[in-house]
Amino acid sequence: MKQMSKPICVAFSIFLMAIAPIASSDETCMSPYMAKIVGQEDFVYVWTLGMEGVGDQQDKLVTVDVNPQSGNYGKIINTLSVGGRNEAHHSGLTDDRRYLWAAGLDTSKIFIFDIHTDPAKPRLHKTITNFVSASGGVVGPHTTYALPGKMLVTGLSNDKDHGGRTGMVEYTNDGDYIATYWMPTDENLYGAVKAGKLADGYGYDVRVLPRRNVMITSSFTGWNNYMMDLGKMMADPEAMKRFGNTVVIWDLHKRQPKKVLDVPGAPLEVRCAWGARNNYCFTSTALTSKIWLIYEDDTGDWHAKPVADIGEAEKIPLPVDISIAADDSLLWVDTWNDGMTRLFDISDPHNAKEIYTEKIGAQINMLSQSWDGKRVYFTSSLLSNWDKKQGEDGDVQYFKAYTWDGKKLTKQFSIDFIKAKLGMPHQMRFGSYALYAKNRPAEVDISVAANP
Amino acid sequence: MDIIRCITQNKLAPLVFLALGVFCFIPAETVLAQERHNHDTATQILAPGYRVLEYAAPEPGAYKLPPSGKAGNGLILDENGRERLLDEFFGDKYVVLSFIYTNCNDVNGCPLATFVLGQLQQRLAEDAKLKDHVRMISISFDPDFDSPAIMAKYGKQFNRNNFDWRFLTTKSTRQLQPILRGFNQPIQKEYNENGEYAGVISHILRVFLIDKTRQVRNIYSVSFLHPDTVISDIKTLAMEDEAEGYAVSDVANGLRKHGTGDDKDGYETESYRTNTKSLLSRQGETTDLMKTVKQPPLGLPGITIPENNPITRKKIQLGKQLFFDRRLSYNNTLSCAMCHIPEQGFTSQELATAVGVEGRTVRRNAPTLYNVGFARNLFHDARENSLEQQVWIPLLAHNEMANPAVGFVIEKLKSITEYTDKFEQAFHGKGPGMETTGMALASYQRTLNSANAPFDRWYYGQDSKAMDEQAITGFELFTGKARCVSCHAINKDYALFTDHKLHNTGIGYLNSMGSQDDKQQVIVAPGARLTIDSDVVAEASEPEPNDLGYYEITGNPDDRWKYKTPTLRNISLTAPYMHNGSLGTLKQVIEFYNQGGVKNELLDPLIQPLKLEKEETGALIAFLNALTGSNVDELIADAFAQPVGNVKQ
Repeated sequence: MKQMSKPICVAFSIFLMAIAPIASSDETCMSPYMAKIVGQEDFVYVWTLGMEGVGDQQDKLVTVDVNPQSGNYGKIINTLSVGGRNEAHHSGLTDDRRYLWAAGLDTSKIFIFDIHTDPAKPRLHKTITNFVSASGGVVGPHTTYALPGKMLVTGLSNDKDHGGRTGMVEYTNDGDYIATYWMPTDENLYGAVKAGKLADGYGYDVRVLPRRNVMITSSFTGWNNYMMDLGKMMADPEAMKRFGNTVVIWDLHKRQPKKVLDVPGAPLEVRCAWGARNNYCFTSTALTSKIWLIYEDDTGDWHAKPVADIGEAEKIPLPVDISIAADDSLLWVDTWNDGMTRLFDISDPHNAKEIYTEKIGAQINMLSQSWDGKRVYFTSSLLSNWDKKQGEDGDVQYFKAYTWDGKKLTKQFSIDFIKAKLGMPHQMRFGSYALYAKNRPAEVDISVAANP
Repeated sequence: MDIIRCITQNKLAPLVFLALGVFCFIPAETVLAQERHNHDTATQILAPGYRVLEYAAPEPGAYKLPPSGKAGNGLILDENGRERLLDEFFGDKYVVLSFIYTNCNDVNGCPLATFVLGQLQQRLAEDAKLKDHVRMISISFDPDFDSPAIMAKYGKQFNRNNFDWRFLTTKSTRQLQPILRGFNQPIQKEYNENGEYAGVISHILRVFLIDKTRQVRNIYSVSFLHPDTVISDIKTLAMEDEAEGYAVSDVANGLRKHGTGDDKDGYETESYRTNTKSLLSRQGETTDLMKTVKQPPLGLPGITIPENNPITRKKIQLGKQLFFDRRLSYNNTLSCAMCHIPEQGFTSQELATAVGVEGRTVRRNAPTLYNVGFARNLFHDARENSLEQQVWIPLLAHNEMANPAVGFVIEKLKSITEYTDKFEQAFHGKGPGMETTGMALASYQRTLNSANAPFDRWYYGQDSKAMDEQAITGFELFTGKARCVSCHAINKDYALFTDHKLHNTGIGYLNSMGSQDDKQQVIVAPGARLTIDSDVVAEASEPEPNDLGYYEITGNPDDRWKYKTPTLRNISLTAPYMHNGSLGTLKQVIEFYNQGGVKNELLDPLIQPLKLEKEETGALIAFLNALTGSNVDELIADAFAQPVGNVKQ
């Protein structure tokens, strides 16, 4: 076998906090059970919502070449349309990183892409169409999170009232249903205790801390709200009551909820620290605009407390994606409505401080950074019916690549997803030839491949 | 392999972690990151399986281990070189299986698995109950090197007291493949720059727990493989087998059926506490719906059944199945029942106005379907007069269920096997069609008759105690000073609380002609309100669609902003109110009428300021609350018993 064309470092199935002297950034946000890219990533796979009136109008996986040593650097090298608009949202990799699971919040379909056979050209391997019936009524698959040999899929809604009560669903890596875990409600807490007044049964994101046998889930809102027009929703007082206000601490091994914490205002992404003794995670509340620390005390009990404001709540900055640095010292926070990314110093996790801001676009949602934190990627789309219809300079739907030198972000390239007739870009995941002991093939002209 | 592999053309100096026995070649920048990150000591570097478990092991039997598929199978070689099926080693015992190769030198890879299995062996040997019920299997990844003899020799190092621990291999890499595929265990052999096998097989460490029915019940990785947890899991399987059908109960019972399962009562206050129902308790019992048609509850008139669609139990059942089937929408996301939610008064209490396919905006509040069989006209603007025909409008509306054509729906129904016989049985051999689909759905809706409310028992049943004093005062106001009855009619023998007519109350006028406030109050969490600029999300919002009411049907300017008088039966279950769901409570509705609606040139002359006192408002609410039918929980339970139709594969 030929040698690799560039330095690449890959870690497989590492108990990162304890064994592995590494962590990553996009990678820091992912499952600790997963193989990692710790050097230069070759690709970013962008799960993209189809948009009426734009291109082929359907959801697609867009592959961007992000390796500066590549002749195709900064270009779209592949697009793979999956049929329909499914409210493409989040995606996640299996623990062996051979497959990318990309979910649709509307149709509850899960598209499983083979990214190992040819990392530059993902193939649609399988589509799960019966997620709702198999799970017993969970709607809106969101986070697809790697467990050993399995995938855990959080839900956002249900097929009875399209509200926020929901469950989590476990699958084999092959895409076979295993089990449903319903979020704790007052009527059935499944043995959990309420730390405060709330147990809403809502769901959103999930992360695990295996060495503490802990799983942490957050809570957003049901299909009715995440699918409807943003202005209509904000004018509807009943709808505005239907947001999650809880974070649940679970026994990871038993898959049983232990404690329901009050975290009011729609806690979204959960990001856990990597340090071997850093038994805490962060989340941000979309509506109340705060960073929350979810932490374990000396007695093994878990708590939640707000540790910083994010912008001014009255201006509805709407914090969305967050990303923790490898050494647990920094937390990036994107605020969708003002298009800003904000960097917080979290070296004292109980007292987060905003230290840097940068306007990225008319709106902003996801961010992913390389494991060393030197490369940061942003995309724009939040939800199809919440996104801005127009923005300054039309800078609404984009993929942007930046470098971070420790002091400032510097833009490297930008792709306008409307001009490219692609749609609304959402979650990014990294790909690399080295994960599969593969070589980058001889450079080819991809100008044709970009628009199949 | 569970080590870091770095392959670099730059030939950076290798860093050797002697303490680990792990060779790792790391580029300089990664080393920096490593030093920054790895602020804990080397004592923490070994996988948890080598150490004391950092948390209490799960109590056996207190949790479930759902099966995740059948264990892999294939031809293997035992320690004596005899060819056997791997499957022969499953079935009689619980099996802990790991893949290893004898040359593996990654301390947190194969040696970890073997170490943990060794610990297990020791612990199980001391457990009289379990020791004869567990088998451990180590299978080689590397058949080219690991011959049966080598595996036997290797096994001898670990096996103690003849514990049932097998060390197996395969004839060839080819023979190994089906087993690896069966366990979904990909591996990669590492090759050096000259294309020669480098002696390293990288893989994700997975150890499998397999039950006696050959189902995989847990998969352990480096980060949580530990003898304590594996023992707990084996005991959990043993307890499950002893109890034969042991299961943790998911269901809580015995609560009222009606009301949103996601109760937000009091959400405006900081003292709000959730009162959330479990989705799994949403269970019910089928009832004979025909009785509400043959003998409508007290207070309702006889129901008119169209001559061409005589009602039958088969049609009702078919209609109910269709009503709850999300496949009836273009993209399988919406059934009738997703907007007309049984426990929410067959409307939606969680939305002012409905949301259609792909989240498209519907301008109006989903009307309740209670007693819809008595309605002379349908929709808020009265545009339809037959339930049989009505069903096709939401089915085809772009912003509701969004089906592109009638034929599309019919063909879809024909393709769903659950319906194959049911149409023919309900309609004398006729299959799914425009007519039969409408007839079936109409038949179910005609059974949602609910009355025999406290008011009915008091007024028609002559039970003087059926309503309390306050409600009786409310009735007097309703029929007197408050003048509600002039539109919400009460007849001598029955009451539908509607005049079947359309009126301009000004609420539609306000929507079309009123100006928007600069500021808007938004509730963002329990007891937490923000005052925001109304245009703060303007760029992200579509323009609010206009709504001219009955005018849109007649084209007559005099009909602008007229909407149908809704029934008031079960009114306390059908918030929010008005055609646009703009009033959240009955109190707000009464206040709206008390002030004489909203003035406009077409305001119905029946709408006048009422000069109601505060206690009179309370009495009216008490009366409206006395309009809840006695059979609502029965109708809801019947609806709960109907499975939701979803895509099956």
